[in-house]
Amino acid sequence: MKKLSVSLVAVLVLFSLLASLVMADEHGDMAKVRVLHASPDAPAVDVYVNGDLTLEEVPFKTDSGYLEVPAGTHDVEVFAAGTEYAAGEGVLQADLEVEAGKAYTVAAANLLESIEFVVAEDSMEVTEGQAKIRVGHLSPDAPAVDVGIIGGDALFSGAEFPSITDYAEVDPGTYDLEIRLPDGTQVLPLEGTELAADTVYSVFAVNTVDSLEVIALVDYEAAASPDEMPTTGLGTPEQSQSMWLLIGGALFLVAASGLVWRKRFQ
Amino acid sequence: MGLCGENDFNKFALLLAVVFLAGCNAAPQDEVSIRSAEVGFAVKAEPARSEQPKELEQAKAAEKEKPAAKPKSKQAANPINELNQPGIAPETLSIPSIGLEADVTHLGVTDSGEMAVPDNGEELSWFSPGYQPGQRGRAVIAGHVDDLDGPAVFWDLTELKPGDEIVVSGDDRELRFKVHTMESVPLDLADVDSVFGYHSSPELVLITCSGTYDYDRGTREERLIVYASLVKE
Repeated sequence: MKKLSVSLVAVLVLFSLLASLVMADEHGDMAKVRVLHASPDAPAVDVYVNGDLTLEEVPFKTDSGYLEVPAGTHDVEVFAAGTEYAAGEGVLQADLEVEAGKAYTVAAANLLESIEFVVAEDSMEVTEGQAKIRVGHLSPDAPAVDVGIIGGDALFSGAEFPSITDYAEVDPGTYDLEIRLPDGTQVLPLEGTELAADTVYSVFAVNTVDSLEVIALVDYEAAASPDEMPTTGLGTPEQSQSMWLLIGGALFLVAASGLVWRKRFQ
Repeated sequence: MGLCGENDFNKFALLLAVVFLAGCNAAPQDEVSIRSAEVGFAVKAEPARSEQPKELEQAKAAEKEKPAAKPKSKQAANPINELNQPGIAPETLSIPSIGLEADVTHLGVTDSGEMAVPDNGEELSWFSPGYQPGQRGRAVIAGHVDDLDGPAVFWDLTELKPGDEIVVSGDDRELRFKVHTMESVPLDLADVDSVFGYHSSPELVLITCSGTYDYDRGTREERLIVYASLVKE
């Protein structure tokens, strides 16, 4: 039993060491990655990063939100949910290189039989007071499309599967948008789209053309941060405090020994 | 018998005095640094954040109820507008597990670029130029660990456990956050941009001072940082 508890402590120490290493890492060079399931006929998936189960049972049309990962190259592998992991056996595998301070969208796109990764770098900045938007064409059988104002100009022209456009910066406000064929035929209306200031959006067209739909994600919202952490202690531990304790202890010792001496001489 | 007892007491008193002395020599009684010496935890994030399944299930259920209603099942609402997730300007914060209840003031930065904090030990401050609680991103609320009289509002922050609830109120709304990570970070290693930075889901960050006191800098060497994620209603 004692042996067990000792080794338990050892394990705990090891874990906390590892944890502190990971934590130290977090303050170094991290990148952000989010995974998007955009393969219409694929089942829910498990995603392994460097052999570790990182995302579980991600269904179609779902994203992971940004995950913090160390900068560098990572082995990203996708399995049908619940499949036992075996290196290189996934339906999809890629060595993904990510840079510190950057953010990425990794979409699993196309039909299952020809499933593929579509990777794009996401913007983590926007001009103050402006909105930013881009579109991704992830509908495997849909033709090239434009996205623009109903009855007006196109914001994005000729987006083809599989691709993610550059960002366009626009004034914040409400827009009657639509996805349309280059000849003007409407594919999907997006009326009353509200684009907020200081916000970066990604809008992905997914599913097959006969049931085309849209996934909208926020890539970034701007807010200020200070240069330094707060100073959150008004008190100052007294340097002389230990001195007083020392004196107190000494007095106590004298008093106690006095008792002993008195005892002896009685 | 009585004598013997007294003798024992004397010995005990002597021993106590010696221990007391030794203890004092070894470590000054700075309770903040003692309390924050061994803190820290991180709950592994849930594997997948899936915002849609619930709606998906509801949609599926709806489809079952009305099989002939919408054969093409196009999205009714504009999915871009569903991203709208407003936060609140916090007025009060409470943490039931450590019996904390405090008012929250709104402050920005000091002249030297630090996150500003209240001038008293009772109030908390929200970094108002940053993210609002409930908005995507990390909303930061700071408070003092001690003041001139002793323990201050965030004295017991080190006592928090994973899963503890933090309730923030303001703008007639009440938001609940669940603690998932605590770390005590040396001031020079603190990644300020990350602590105050963007996150795909709403987070609340609490900060107070920890570690040993640095008399040269006039502040403690570390910051205790607690991360909590929004509990969806």
